[in-house]
Amino acid sequence: ARRLMRKCSDRGAKMNDASVQTLLDILSGVGEKNVTNSLLCTKTLLMEKVGQMMDWASKRSVIRMNGEKFRRFVKAPPRNYSVVVMFTALQPQRQCGVCKQADEEYQILANSWRYSSAFTNKIFFASVDFDEGSDIFHMLNMNSAPTFMHFPSKGKPKRADTYELQVRGFAAEQISRWIADRTDINVRVIRPPNYAGPLMLGFLLAVVGSLVYLRRNNLEFLYNKNAWAFAALCFVLIMTSGQMWNHIRGPPYAHKNPNTGQVSYIHGSSQAQFVAETHIVLLFNSAVTFGMVLLHEAATSDMDIGKRKIMCIAGIGLVVLFFSWLLSIFRAKYHGYPYSFLMN
Amino acid sequence: MELICLGHFVLSHNPEVWILGELMLNCSWGGVGGDSIHRIHPALECHSLVVSLSSFLLRFNYRSTHHLTSNGFYEFLNWFDERAWYPLGRIVGGTVYPGLMVTAGLIHYVLNLLHMTVHIRDVCVFLAPIFSGLTAISTFLLTRELWNQGAGLLAACFIAIVPGYISRSVAGSFDNEGIAIFALQFTYYLWVKSVKTGSVFWTIGCCLSYFYMVSAWGGYVFIINLIPLHVFVLLLMQRYSRRVYIAYSTFYIVGLVLSMQIPFVGFQPIRTSEHMAAAGVFALLQAYAFLQYLKDRLTKQEFQTLFFLGVSLAAGVVFLTVIYLTYTGKFSLSLMRYLCPPPRYAKIHIPIIASVSEHQPTTWVSFFFDLHILVCTFPAGLWFCIKNINDERVFVALYAISAVYFAGVMVRLMLTLTPVVCMLSAIAFSSVFEHYLGDDQKKDKEGLGPNIKSIVTMLMLMLLMMFAVHCTWVTSNAYSSPSVVLASYNHDGSRNILDDFREAYYWLRQNTDEHARVMSWWDYGYQIAGMANRTTLVDNNTWNNSHIALVGKAMSSNESAAYQIMQSLDVDYVLIIFGGVIGYSGDDINKFLWMVRIAEGEHPKDIRESDYFTPQGEFRVDKAGSPTLLNCLMYKMSYYRFGEMQLDFRTPPGFDRTRNAEIGNKDIKFKHLEEAFTSEHWLVRIYKVKNEGSSRTSSFLRKARS
Repeated sequence: ARRLMRKCSDRGAKMNDASVQTLLDILSGVGEKNVTNSLLCTKTLLMEKVGQMMDWASKRSVIRMNGEKFRRFVKAPPRNYSVVVMFTALQPQRQCGVCKQADEEYQILANSWRYSSAFTNKIFFASVDFDEGSDIFHMLNMNSAPTFMHFPSKGKPKRADTYELQVRGFAAEQISRWIADRTDINVRVIRPPNYAGPLMLGFLLAVVGSLVYLRRNNLEFLYNKNAWAFAALCFVLIMTSGQMWNHIRGPPYAHKNPNTGQVSYIHGSSQAQFVAETHIVLLFNSAVTFGMVLLHEAATSDMDIGKRKIMCIAGIGLVVLFFSWLLSIFRAKYHGYPYSFLMN
Repeated sequence: MELICLGHFVLSHNPEVWILGELMLNCSWGGVGGDSIHRIHPALECHSLVVSLSSFLLRFNYRSTHHLTSNGFYEFLNWFDERAWYPLGRIVGGTVYPGLMVTAGLIHYVLNLLHMTVHIRDVCVFLAPIFSGLTAISTFLLTRELWNQGAGLLAACFIAIVPGYISRSVAGSFDNEGIAIFALQFTYYLWVKSVKTGSVFWTIGCCLSYFYMVSAWGGYVFIINLIPLHVFVLLLMQRYSRRVYIAYSTFYIVGLVLSMQIPFVGFQPIRTSEHMAAAGVFALLQAYAFLQYLKDRLTKQEFQTLFFLGVSLAAGVVFLTVIYLTYTGKFSLSLMRYLCPPPRYAKIHIPIIASVSEHQPTTWVSFFFDLHILVCTFPAGLWFCIKNINDERVFVALYAISAVYFAGVMVRLMLTLTPVVCMLSAIAFSSVFEHYLGDDQKKDKEGLGPNIKSIVTMLMLMLLMMFAVHCTWVTSNAYSSPSVVLASYNHDGSRNILDDFREAYYWLRQNTDEHARVMSWWDYGYQIAGMANRTTLVDNNTWNNSHIALVGKAMSSNESAAYQIMQSLDVDYVLIIFGGVIGYSGDDINKFLWMVRIAEGEHPKDIRESDYFTPQGEFRVDKAGSPTLLNCLMYKMSYYRFGEMQLDFRTPPGFDRTRNAEIGNKDIKFKHLEEAFTSEHWLVRIYKVKNEGSSRTSSFLRKARS
């Protein structure tokens, strides 16, 4: 059987020529025996291939392929299944950060398909790493990773069979829509619940609980107004400096101009912001707040007059200086804003 | 009360138009408070009041108020609006918060009773400034309860001019938020008052005010969660008292019954998870009070056993009920929807929510723009409040923390943050001024000396002055131009008024059949219904996503496919907004990708977003643009005949000023449509759908009959 298979696969590899040959044979009415033989061979080869693919897919939802496997199972006919292939470079020395993220999403997608009730042998998910099959990359004229390609069960991949990663991003949902579009197979993406958050929360609660338990005999710190006020202030300052925007939009920390090498920490437009910028604003806001508190303390505390005077001067200095600084940053971002104070 | 003086103004801006309005002006504290005159800025600037109802949403509110005053309250509740959402129609009475319309209608009724013949339109225009005056009063009262009278006055001054609130209360902005912020602040004032006194009288007042809030705005959910949170935290802090018990028990029961009287709210307060916190705290409070009662009667040992048993039993019962209810689907645990950032939730689920710019998270620039110095100083007020904590300051601290979270998540909710920021900033400034203005009272302590004191006072006043200047600038530049009338500025600073919208709506009103159906993107639905009085397919009440997607599909398909859709929807006219001639960036081509996305969500087979991009992933209207885009209906309607038009000598013909590109498809011909109207600056273009079948009856009606 093994010999037969090899024979068949040899045939399969030459199928492009062979199919032309068979057609001619049929037309001319000769070589009938050859035709039946070839059809039989194709059938067994196909079954063999599907069986092998199913076997792999049951082991790993994403089939890892090297150059040889790729040529035999994806490139060469006969096939009655579609294959979605991710071309990637996951080796650490390639330093491809995007590949890792894309790989995670792809695994989620493949797992959702693998364990869904609709799982069939109509579609398989595979991946080719650059370091294992660089010849494939050359063959397909591919010069960027990651790339997703769909190899339809019939015919050659068209232009739309290459996933537009730049436009659509690599979220599993997007890839699934693209697959549904290309193959009519709907993969419902089921994200495994993220246990990291609840675990961290539980851990934190445990730490807090044990701290409270250890200090159960003096729980005065729970009544410490300074600590509570400080926590509330931190939260408020974090929110007003736009950290939630950062959390949702994920902007870069700062921008480095590739031509001049200059790093700008402030985004030029009022519609967006860098992370560094929000940290600066957070600092300035808290400085103004601190200045106000100092002013109040200077007037009410029981310290000696010299210290109180210094506190007072420092307080008003902080308020005025950092507010005008903040105003100048705002002015730089909000074009056409006419007012400034102390500095431009 | 000396803070507010009532003014009676007779404004004769234009010889033909006489405006009679009652305005409330804050004229305290130097010139600062007087800036609320800016609220009527837009009304004064536009040549007649007809246009001064500003943003897109408001047209509908005005229309329903008009319906209310002309047909009466019951007729309004039963109103089925067949002019919207053709061919579906819309039940209005049960799907709106009626507070705004009823308030305006009531004022109109009372004024007419006193033989002051005022048109309902004028009442609507000046409703928001009047209510912002009331907001200032209630902020004063609330801050006085929390701190002292001086802080109250400052807080009222701040809220009178702060841009974050002016944005919703300029004259002519006739929408729910305008009156809702007053109701919010007043409810909180009465709540603090009732917690302080423990009297049922104040609590009933609080419930009535809450009822008004429920009738006015969906944001009442904020109140019904914040007040229970306050009670819960008071319990945790062992600040339970009989006053809290009386206040909350009364508030919960009466408030619940009252809120269920609003048709749109109905049974939600006992069904949805947003309201469950209130119920839980109510039960907890009863249990706590009962235990307190038992504690006095039982021995310590008995009490401990009972306490343990009771707590574990209650926890088990609550847990099982929640599981049972969730399992049977009686109520969904949709609380996550509120806590997790909405844009992220919506980005995956509903593109239409993500497409509204108000649902975006807030940058620090918007915080600073809307609050200026208050945003840096209000944490200091929070600090003082927590350092000198008492029952009502717990409330304001919780208010600040929750509101700042929601404002960070969504720009729109900046509105709920603004009042508390004003109050806390006022507390911060007031506690500084308290010590630096005036002489030293205490003789035993050495003062800081007059020099330092006057320097500090001067600098602080300067900062406040800058705040006032900032507010004036923001109001006159950003918030006071009604979006129905656009203004453009020439090089010498003179101003052109672009009145294309009104021109086009007037044309529709005068030249089309009374029952004509106009298709447009949903942003303009209320305007068409209100100003042109024609039937629309979709409007700003975006309750039916698939209908909107159908319109989006028609706009993004090619002409013949679009014609099929338009035929099936009986469209007579198509209205689009095109800004390429004057460089108006809010036009339909710039919104176009949202139409595609929303259409793709419902019809993924026919519309694909990637088809509208170039292979490089750009959205371009010039020659390099994708052929699908260059031949879709929206593109053709926007740029029809535009290729012949040369705007100035430096640019080629067909140069789009908004997108700075020469258009790619200059040879546009229509088969099923014809141009009906284009406004002066090409801002509004209206096309007529050719009626090819001679006896065309509505295919929808036909389907319905068979």
